[in-house]
Parts: sequence; structure tokens; C-alpha cells
Amino acid sequence: MSQGPTFPDLTPSARSMSPGNFAGKTFRSQSGIETRIQYGNKSTDKSLELEFNAVTEADAAQIHDHYQACNGTLFTFWMSIKPLAGNPAFHQGDDSYSLNTANRFNSTPFGLRWRYAEPPQFDSIKAGRMSVRIKLIGVLDS
Amino acid sequence: MSYYSGKDGTLTYNGSVVAKVSNWSISTQVDTLDTTVLTESDRTFVPNLRTTNGSATVFYYDSAPVSLLGRIVKTATVTESDILAIKLAWGSKFIQGNCIITSAELSCAVGEVMQANIQFQFTGAPTGVSL
Repeated sequence: MSQGPTFPDLTPSARSMSPGNFAGKTFRSQSGIETRIQYGNKSTDKSLELEFNAVTEADAAQIHDHYQACNGTLFTFWMSIKPLAGNPAFHQGDDSYSLNTANRFNSTPFGLRWRYAEPPQFDSIKAGRMSVRIKLIGVLDS
Repeated sequence: MSYYSGKDGTLTYNGSVVAKVSNWSISTQVDTLDTTVLTESDRTFVPNLRTTNGSATVFYYDSAPVSLLGRIVKTATVTESDILAIKLAWGSKFIQGNCIITSAELSCAVGEVMQANIQFQFTGAPTGVSL
């Protein structure tokens, strides 16, 4: 599938990430013994939720336009630095804010690509200010 | 240079001075929107909605407070036509705006002059300010 533009470099107000899981299947026998079969060597379905509270309309428009440029939930895209910054010790072998490719929040170090899991939500707060919530999913792209 | 006191104060509605006002007060508040983002260690805000409201006490001398009381204490429904242009002034200074009377309280007690306590809420921005 095609690649969309890089996500706008905006710092979120809140961020929530789940690392996903490895493809596999678990079998449990009648005696209770469990057997697990791994089907892939990469975790998938990593999720990332970002909230941008009371941002300017221009910033909200950047996110809206990025979603459109990604053909909604279809195209994958790379993440910029600021949406993943703020917890430097959580970065993978990287305590600076710059090397996004080694950030545990990102999809790249795990062989994944981001795409929108669902359409973003835009809330009008007042003239000039809006809040935006987005949900992303890290997928193994073909 | 001069101080201001109660003798300088007036309350005007729709251009007419309300008689026998013993006190008035006005208060303006601005809500804030939290714009703090990750990586910041101090909260940041931008101004949001502004609210202005006030109150006045008027002695019930003849029909002095009736023009204000009558806006909400009446048999008919309160409508947008009951919005008043209120002006609070002290000397040559003033704050004025369109107001809705939100509370009218009458009190009558032995040994006290009967009075009306009025509370009002600005609708929209002040239409004139001279501080």
C-alpha cells in the first residue's frame, strides 16, 4: 500500500501506547497444558493514541490535512519527532529527543508502519482553539 | 487626583438613573484553557470565555427599584425584551453593557428600610468601559 506524508511535528497533550503482540496461537488441552505457536517474528497491532488539547486551528488543520493526504486509514506514514518526545529514558538506546528511529513509542524500530486506526476526532473549543484526538495502529505493511 | 466613594456612584438602566441605590458591585472573570503539552514542566494557558456579573441593592422608596424588579418579577414570561442596558458609574468613569436580571430579592423586616437586592449577568462584551 502507498505511503503518506510524515505526520505533523506537533507536541501532544497526552499520549498512550500499547506495544501490540506477536502473531501466534495458544492451545489448551483438556488437562490444562498450554501450547503456544508463534507465527511471526515481529509484533504487530501496536497502538498509539495522541491528544492535542486546545491547539490552534492551524495545527488542527495540519492533522486534518494529513489524514486526508493519507487517504484516511489506508496509507501508512512515518512519525515525526515531537509527537513521540517527552520520555527520553524510554527511548531505545537513545536519551536525546532527536533519534526517533530508536524510540520505543515509534513503530520503526519494530518493523512497523503507522496508519490511522480510525478517523481523527476534532472538537471546537472556542474561536481559534480546537482539540484533536487520533488513534494510530502499527502494521506490518506489505 | 481624588478618591471615589459611594457618593460618586450611580446605576443607570436604559438611560434612566435608578434612585436610592445603596450599593452596587461588579465582577469579571475569564476562564482559561489548558494548553500544556508533554515535555513542558509548567502549565500554560490561553484565555477562554469571559463572564461579567454584578449586584445592586436599592431601597424601596416610592417605586425606585420597580424598573429592575419588574423585569423578572411579573406574571408574564421573561423574554429577550427584558434585557437591559445597565451602566455602573463612579464620577466620570463607568462600565456598561447589556444585562439580564438573574435574581431579585425583596426583604422587609421590623426596624429596617425595605430594600431590593438585584443580581444581573452581562450578555456579550461590555458595550462601554472607562476606568
